[in-house]
Amino acid sequence: MRNLNFGYGISSPRAINLDNNDLRKSNDIIREMPELQACIGCGSCTASCTAGNITSFNFRKLHTSVRRGEYQGAYEELSKCMLCGKCRLVCPRGINTRGLVMLIKRKLGDF
Amino acid sequence: MAKRVVIVGGGAAGMQTALELKARGIEPVIVERDIELGGKARGWHKLFPSFTPASDVMRPIADRIKAERVRCFYGQEVTAIAPDGVMLRSGERIPSDAVVVATGFTLFDAHRKQEYGYGLYDNVITSVDLERMMNSGKVLLTDGTEPRRIAILHCVGSRDEKVCQKHCSKVCCITGVKQAIELKEIFPTADVFNFYMDIRMFGPGYEELYREAQQRYNVHFVRGRISEAAETINKRIQIKAEDTLTGRPLKMTVDMLVLLVGMSANYENETLAATAGLSLAPNGYYRAQDSFLGAVRSEREGIFFAGAATAPKSLADTLAEASLTASAVDEYLRAKFNEK
Amino acid sequence: MENMTFFAPFTIPFIVGGVAMFVVIAAKWLLWLVRLPRVDRRLIRHNFFTRQTLLAVWEVFRESLLHVRIFRVNPVLGFMHMSLAFGWFLLIVVGWIETVAYLGWVWVPLQGHVFFKYFMPVNGIEGHIQLFEHLMDALLLLVLMGVALAWFKRLRSKMMGMRRTTKHVLFDRIALSALWFIFPARLVAESLTAAIYGGGGFLTGSIGGVLRDIVPSDMLSLAYEPAWWFYSAALGVFFAAMPFSRYMHILTEIPLIFLRRWSVRPTAERKSYDRFEVEACSRCGICIDPCQLQEDLGINDTQSVYFLRDRRYNMLSLKVANNCLMCGRCEQQCPVGINLATLRLNSRAKRRNIPHEGRYKYLRGVDRSSGSGRVGYFAGCMTSLTPGVQRSMEQIFAAVGEEVWYADKEGGVCCGRPLMLSGETDAARKMVAYNTDLFRRHNIELLVTSCPICLRVFRENYRLDGIEVLHHTEYIDRLIAEGRLHLKADGRTFTYHDPCELGRGCGVYDEPRRVIASVGELREPKHSRRDALCCGASLANTIIDDGQQQRIAKRMTTELEATACDTIVTACPLCNKAISRAAAHPAEDIAEVVAKNIVR
Repeated sequence: MRNLNFGYGISSPRAINLDNNDLRKSNDIIREMPELQACIGCGSCTASCTAGNITSFNFRKLHTSVRRGEYQGAYEELSKCMLCGKCRLVCPRGINTRGLVMLIKRKLGDF
Repeated sequence: MAKRVVIVGGGAAGMQTALELKARGIEPVIVERDIELGGKARGWHKLFPSFTPASDVMRPIADRIKAERVRCFYGQEVTAIAPDGVMLRSGERIPSDAVVVATGFTLFDAHRKQEYGYGLYDNVITSVDLERMMNSGKVLLTDGTEPRRIAILHCVGSRDEKVCQKHCSKVCCITGVKQAIELKEIFPTADVFNFYMDIRMFGPGYEELYREAQQRYNVHFVRGRISEAAETINKRIQIKAEDTLTGRPLKMTVDMLVLLVGMSANYENETLAATAGLSLAPNGYYRAQDSFLGAVRSEREGIFFAGAATAPKSLADTLAEASLTASAVDEYLRAKFNEK
Repeated sequence: MENMTFFAPFTIPFIVGGVAMFVVIAAKWLLWLVRLPRVDRRLIRHNFFTRQTLLAVWEVFRESLLHVRIFRVNPVLGFMHMSLAFGWFLLIVVGWIETVAYLGWVWVPLQGHVFFKYFMPVNGIEGHIQLFEHLMDALLLLVLMGVALAWFKRLRSKMMGMRRTTKHVLFDRIALSALWFIFPARLVAESLTAAIYGGGGFLTGSIGGVLRDIVPSDMLSLAYEPAWWFYSAALGVFFAAMPFSRYMHILTEIPLIFLRRWSVRPTAERKSYDRFEVEACSRCGICIDPCQLQEDLGINDTQSVYFLRDRRYNMLSLKVANNCLMCGRCEQQCPVGINLATLRLNSRAKRRNIPHEGRYKYLRGVDRSSGSGRVGYFAGCMTSLTPGVQRSMEQIFAAVGEEVWYADKEGGVCCGRPLMLSGETDAARKMVAYNTDLFRRHNIELLVTSCPICLRVFRENYRLDGIEVLHHTEYIDRLIAEGRLHLKADGRTFTYHDPCELGRGCGVYDEPRRVIASVGELREPKHSRRDALCCGASLANTIIDDGQQQRIAKRMTTELEATACDTIVTACPLCNKAISRAAAHPAEDIAEVVAKNIVR
């Protein structure tokens, strides 16, 4: 719960340090779902998000951070997702977003 | 006797190719599906990036077609293509020594993106509708009032796998910038917001125009694709997007939403290509021999391309390509008839 | 003859195999029954002395022996199962009667019945009844026909009207090989007996006669004992392998039928009852052909038969569990009536993270609803991407003067079914609780939804006593029937696509058709109603990619377009999107068609 403001706020001014970040998990996720790399960051997923309509939840930012090796708080943040599937229906790149939420949770979670 | 070349399609590409062929002493025959020539450029208001009225470009071409007495078939659909002629729906066959495919493109049907409400909400229009409105001199909301807030959405039916349009339509970005400026010219106090995924300003003067739109006309560029639109009780449009540069969801209400519709390959390409023994690229456009020296040649001897039949192209690119096509046809016919 | 012991060394494999089978099966069943949750045990106690038990006996006869349901789906396959099961059963029963007829009511050990011909060849019997010989031969022939068909099915599944047949695990192969040999071995052993001792019916007797004529008698005597050994060994191996193979289904279907009659059902949580369902799968493979993942995408490892197999042998992968559209096409054809979707869901539930406590805390105090009225409208998340549906519903509500409370016009909270489909049942409960509370607080009596996914969860998992839940197709149908809504003829021809969740999921087939028929001509595609194809956009599948979804949509849309209708109509926003991207013209929702033709 401590990390709930994942990715937001002025409390995390640190730079993304790709020299230090461990990209193993990120590569693991991308290996299972290479289409994730096809994201062009249009924000359709976040704009249409049912959960994002109610609370601060930004899927685009979240999976981008995970791809950069920034995992802290990502699992908890992803738990806000209702898996409703709207994002999959709007993604212009045809990314399997629902499968991706589950994949990231699995890789970063306790299972 | 002059050698004869059938040109399928009487848009900008077909017309200009006809003139270029005529200049080389070859007799062109245009077969047009519509009842008049001109294609998509007909009814267009102004051209990017110079704001040249489209009629200034198209009228002289049409006049010359008339003056040169280019033979045209109107309201005739071609059902089969071969290097030695084409078949018409009527059953008539037009023999020729070569064929130029100048069938162009089809405008993306904005109804397919139901979430934007085209055809459903009063004040959601396409970029083509806007050109026609500007041409008629009346850019107004359906209730007759002037729009004070306008959103222009890029990439409607382009780069969108959900409607099976994987390609970039190339011309919409600059069209969006051009139309934003035009709207600001008409309604200087209105706010114009362009919603984009990427801005692609590849042509001469495009980037400069983009900058002008930003700095001189104060057009707002928001990096985020609109995901949904809803109509309010007073016929305004409520849109949702993510402002990806701030990473926050964005909601706003506008008076008018302009959808920059992309260029789709013609539905008939598949059947026509099959009759001609040609193949299509994955996006449905005709496949040229290659993108370099064979860009206007097809995979089959005697069949050539001009304009947007092979890929989305701007009017400038299309007109330039016409002379390329004509010289390729000329070269082919000379070789065929052993002329020096 | 009186002091017959009915023992010979060759019977040992049979006895050992048989005993092993009964011990293992009894242990399994007992364990599963003991571990049943208290609720289920109470159900069993309650329903034990009711008509249901008798009905179960009748169903066991019909399904475990005659295989009527398989017969209906595929007559050849049905005959194969029937000849093996019912034929074998009758062999045992008639064999027993035969023993009793000759020996009277004396106790005879099991092997005495099974190897009766060995222990009592015809020349040792007084008052021999030839009818038994013919009857037993006829039954043996029936079973042999089944075996021949089974062979044939392995070789040419297409000839049996199936495109694919099941792939097997090791125990299946052992049991299957043994099973194939049992009855031919019996034929050989009994024919040899007839050749040496005479007797036998039209089959074994005739073969025996021929053997007697062409084979020297010392050769016959030499082959005699090994033939019976082989028969016994085949039986023994089959019995020993049976509880670990797919043939466990032969007996497991019996307790399953009883339990089901006593209202025991699988649930979102796994329980020991599931084992009865899992092991009752005969792996007949009927579920493979209707699967569109198979047909359209060539995916061959995830169909229900493989899912159950993998789950049974603890080798279920996440991918197999998740790679299913849950369209329900296989489930409605399953001859054993296994609850395939529920079993798959509770498999998914076991393979996910444990959610943290504060999950969905943000829902507290949220209420984005608007308006008020007796009728509530829940568009559903997906419907906000098909605004034409929402708008049409508003026009319909207005036309009939309905006061409506809009639950999610400004964005609502998901119904919870997508979470359930992904195995997140406890998370889904929070959605259920939230929405239930929302509906109650606004005092609605009728809830109309435009999304079949929402409809299904409202009906199956919500406790909305006092609030009727309708899909908009049902609601419109009712408005027309009550004379509140009048429609004019549209003049177009329509083809209706049954959404999985609305049709197979909620059993709504007639209402949409009535509504469409009231405005225009309705045409049916090749697959419709219970057999309708899935659009491929199902939320239940998180494995296939966009291109694969598109291929499923394409074939299904081609079938719809083949009716040469003017407009394709559906009643689900997801199906609508899937069809619209694959079809020449965008699809319309029933609500849109209706709204265009309202007579005011």
